[in-house]
Order: sequence, then structure tokens, then C-alpha cells
Amino acid sequence: MLNLSAVHKSRGVGSQRYSLVIPGLHLCAGEQLAIVGPSGCGKSTLLDLLALVLAPDQVGRFEFNQLDIEGLWRANQQSTLAGLRSRHLGYVLQTGGLLGFLDVRSNIALPRQLLGLKDDGSVARLAAQLQISDQLAKKPGALSVGQRQRVSCARALAHAPQLLLADEPTASLDPLNAERVMQALLAQAREHRAACVIATHDEPLARASGLQVRRISCQRDSDGGVTATLGEAC
Amino acid sequence: MRIPLVASLAWQDYRDDGWLSACSVLALVAVIAPLLVLFGLKFGLVSSLTERLENDPATREIIPLGGGRFSHAFVEQLAQRSDVAFAIPRTRQIAATAQVGALTLEMLPTAPGDPLLSGLPVPAGLDQIVLSHTAAEKLAARPGDWLQTRFARQVAGRVEAQGTRLQVLAVLPLEAFARDGLFAGLSLLEAAEDYRDGRAVLALGWPGDAAGEGAQRVYPAFRLYARSLSDVEPLRVHFAAQNLLVSTQALSIAQVQSLSRNLSIVFWIIAGLALAGAFAAIFAGALAAVARKRRELSVLRLLGFSTGALLLFVTLQALYGAGFAALLSAGLYGLAEAGLNRLFVQVPGEYASHLLVRHYALALVAVLGVSAVAAACGGWRVARIQACEGIRDV
Repeated sequence: MLNLSAVHKSRGVGSQRYSLVIPGLHLCAGEQLAIVGPSGCGKSTLLDLLALVLAPDQVGRFEFNQLDIEGLWRANQQSTLAGLRSRHLGYVLQTGGLLGFLDVRSNIALPRQLLGLKDDGSVARLAAQLQISDQLAKKPGALSVGQRQRVSCARALAHAPQLLLADEPTASLDPLNAERVMQALLAQAREHRAACVIATHDEPLARASGLQVRRISCQRDSDGGVTATLGEAC
Repeated sequence: MRIPLVASLAWQDYRDDGWLSACSVLALVAVIAPLLVLFGLKFGLVSSLTERLENDPATREIIPLGGGRFSHAFVEQLAQRSDVAFAIPRTRQIAATAQVGALTLEMLPTAPGDPLLSGLPVPAGLDQIVLSHTAAEKLAARPGDWLQTRFARQVAGRVEAQGTRLQVLAVLPLEAFARDGLFAGLSLLEAAEDYRDGRAVLALGWPGDAAGEGAQRVYPAFRLYARSLSDVEPLRVHFAAQNLLVSTQALSIAQVQSLSRNLSIVFWIIAGLALAGAFAAIFAGALAAVARKRRELSVLRLLGFSTGALLLFVTLQALYGAGFAALLSAGLYGLAEAGLNRLFVQVPGEYASHLLVRHYALALVAVLGVSAVAAACGGWRVARIQACEGIRDV
């Protein structure tokens, strides 16, 4: 489903340069992967590349569902990319990324509405499974951080995407809550047979959750810039 | 693009932003409501003045100056013109008088279509007349009364007179004709003129010389009314081209028309300035909104909303504000209109301040149009929002 090799992304120049190198990344439906590394090492950049919101600089191969993503970026096919995002991707942001002007129910239902899908009860079902059923009528501002994170998980799963991306979904939670949210997210993803890429600095939690783990390692280059490389599974 | 979904999201965000939204609405109202009041005053005032002129047939009257020599056919031709509402020949003024008791009345010819007699029965034949208001007052005459009328002439230094009975068909309102006078069919005036010229009037049994065979009657003047106010000036020019001097109310018509034109200029200057200001305010508001809602907009983009949808989101919010501002302004204008009309209007049916439905529609379209364009210009920056930028700011 997802097939990358030799993908580069750089920002800045000279000693301010930061480069991310993905030698290879292959993901099949239902596969669950954790990207671990210290904060600032480029986990978010990797996720943004996978989420089709950040254009890569150099690409050996970047395929999503056999579609040449690099070609879409080169042709500036923003609306095609947006269409792919809305249909196939779910993204859980570190701090929720919920829309404050919508209540919880509308936030979760939004990806389905964007695709013109009827409400088949999946909003209520997801809310029940993520234990936020009694929060549906509230605005996100009235929720605790943990609840917001679960709403964000529900929104990312509502339209049954093929690929679920999560950027530090548990970073702002206490360990107990962190584990509960992670388990809930992975259980839902498994149920929908969605492939998962979860960026986290919490390697023990990732391993405890049964995720395949790949590290991002950083090294300083001779020009003073930093190159981060996605390592193999370990 | 899912327009209803974007419209609903824009509306929920707009509502959530209640106070800011209300402020932007009030800012627009501060522009629109005074414009409506100004235009209402201009339109009400000018249309009342114009209506007053139009309702007064005297404004449309064209009076030939100096003596002329017109044939019946010439006046008939004038009456057929599309810019002429009514034309009838007049007999010599000195011969067009009638004596009723001690009162000498000016005689005026009339016929169906006479704008002075609008709504009144038109006298026909040799024994029907319509009296002016002052004449009827002095004679204490009412419609249906018969008046004994005398026509006097001097023949070889000898005063002779003949009389006939005339029935009052109706009395003119004062504003239609302010002098002592009677309106009668042209034949009665021609009879009086014939008699005073020493000729016999067979129809009334008045003695005199036999009428000349086949002699064309010559009229010194005519009564003529233009069809509308704007026909007066072209008719004046037409007569001037024929070396015929006429007196018209063209000046007072031109005064109202230039008042209307000048007020329009003033209005459009103010409207232009105000709309430019509103445009700038909405433009700035849209810029600020894009900056303020950067996070929400980038989340929407991440979820897969297109640039067009985001632009629509920003533009629709400006349109919601414009719609509310237009409604509120119309309401405030309504109050101002009621107050102004109560203050200034004496004559029923006239307005100091007045707007037609199409004026409201035009104002609404202008406000929505300016808002949409300004917001789209200011909101164009959403195109530059990258989904990966704002989503980390939370």
C-alpha cells in the first residue's frame, strides 16, 4: 500500500540545515509501525510526508496505492492530494487538532461528511469504544486533554481510512491514560484493518503495545547540518 | 467541493466567534444605514417634487406668446403628436368673455382629454360649461344650475347684447384654475367671437351679417399640454424652430431635474467613499481572520478540504456578516424613514424619505458583492496555508 525508497526532505541551509532520509519504507494493509526517536529528530516531518501534506525533495520511489505521489507533487496536483487525504488517511495530531467551533460529534463526523458518507452509526460506535459517548455534545474546549486525544483518534478513524498516522498521540497524557489511549487507537485500527504509523518518543510503550519499532537516528554532518535517517526494524 | 458542508462549518465558526462577528456587522451597518437614509431622502424629496410637478398640468402647459395665425388643421396636427397630451385652438381673448350677472368671465375652450378637467364631465354643445372655483363661489353656482349669460358687442357705436342659458356641469378645483373663468366647447367660443365680429349665429338665433362662405377661421392662440415633463423642452425647441415664441415651465422642471442630478452626484460620491472604506475594512477583516484561524484552516486542509473550499469558508463568513448588516440597516432605515416622514411631510401621499423594493435589492446586492470580493481578496492567503504549518501550533 505504501512503498517508499530513497526519499529525502531538507529544510534550511548550512549549519541550520536539517535533512530527513528514508532509505526504505514498505507498509502493507493492517501493518502497525512505531517510529521512535528523541523529539526534534524528524518524526513529524516523516509523518507529514506520509500524510501527503509535505512535498519531498528527492524521491527514488514514493507510491501510495500504486499512485506516484512524487508525480502529483511535481504537477502541483493539490486537489488530488487533498482527495487522497480525505479518502484514505486519518491523522491523529499531538494535541488533538480538533476544531473548537464544532462539538465533539461534529468533529468526529467531519471526515465522513467531507466524503459525503451517511452516518452509519460509526460516530456513536467509535465514541463508545473510545469512552467519550457522554462528551459528544460538548465543545472540545470543555474536555480534558486525554478526552480530546481520544476524540482525535475517533475523528481519524471515522471514515475507515487505509492509513492511520499518529504524531505523539500520548505525549501529553499521564502514563495510565497514555496506555489506554494507545490501546484504544490500535484496537480500532486493527478492527478496521488500517495500517498504522505512530510517531512516539515512548519506545517502551510502543513495544508494550506490540508495535513493530523503527528508530530515527540523527548525525551531525561536516557542514554543521543534521541528517536524520530512518533505520530498519529493531 | 461540498458547498453545504463548508457553508455549515463557516456558519458554526461565525457563530462561535459571536462578539467579533457582531462587531464586523455593526461596522458595516455604520456604513450602510446612513447611505440608505441619505438615498431615501434624496429619492423621496426628488420624487415628491417631480410628482408635484407632474400632477400639476400647468407645469406641462405651453403657451404661445404674441398673436399668431393658426388654422384648425395646424392645431389638430399638434394634438396628434406623441409628445402632446392635449391641444385645442383659442379664439381671440378679447372676444372670449361672458357676462353672468355682474361678473365677467374669461372663456376657455375645452374638449375631451383636457388635463385641467381630469375626472370631470366635459361640456359639449352650446349650452354646457364647467366653472372655475372662484367663479362658482362668486355666483353661488352649483353643478346642475342654469346660468343666464350675456354676450355684448358694439356695432357702429351702438351696444348690443344677446343672451343664452348655460348649464353648469361641474366646478373645477381651485388648484386647477385660480381665476374667474368658464370652460366650454370650442363652438360656444366661436359663436361669441362671430357675434362680436358682427356675424350672425344661426344656432343660437343671434342676428348679424351672414358668415363668409368657405372662409377659414384663423385662431390667434391655442391651449397645449405636453404629455410628460420631459416633453416640454423638446416641444419648446420645436416651436422655436418655427419662429414661434412660447412660454413654458421648463425652468422649474429643469430646477427639479438639476436638483435630482446634483443630489445624485453627492450621493454617489459619499456612497463611493463609504463603500471603499467598507471594502478596506472587510479586506482587513478577512486577512486578520485567515491569520487568526490559521490553525483551524490548516486542520481543514489536512482533512482534505481544497483551497477553493477554504476560500469559500472565509468568503461565506463575510457574506453572513454582510447579510446581517443589510437586514439591520434596512430595519434602522425603516425607523429613520418613519421619523423623517412624520417630521417633514404635510401632504398625504408624499414622502420626505422613500425607497422602492428595487433600491433595497440593489443595496443588498452591492453590499454582498463588495463583501464577497473584499473577503475573497483578503482570504486569498488561505491558498498559501500549508497543512503541515498550522497543525503543530496547538
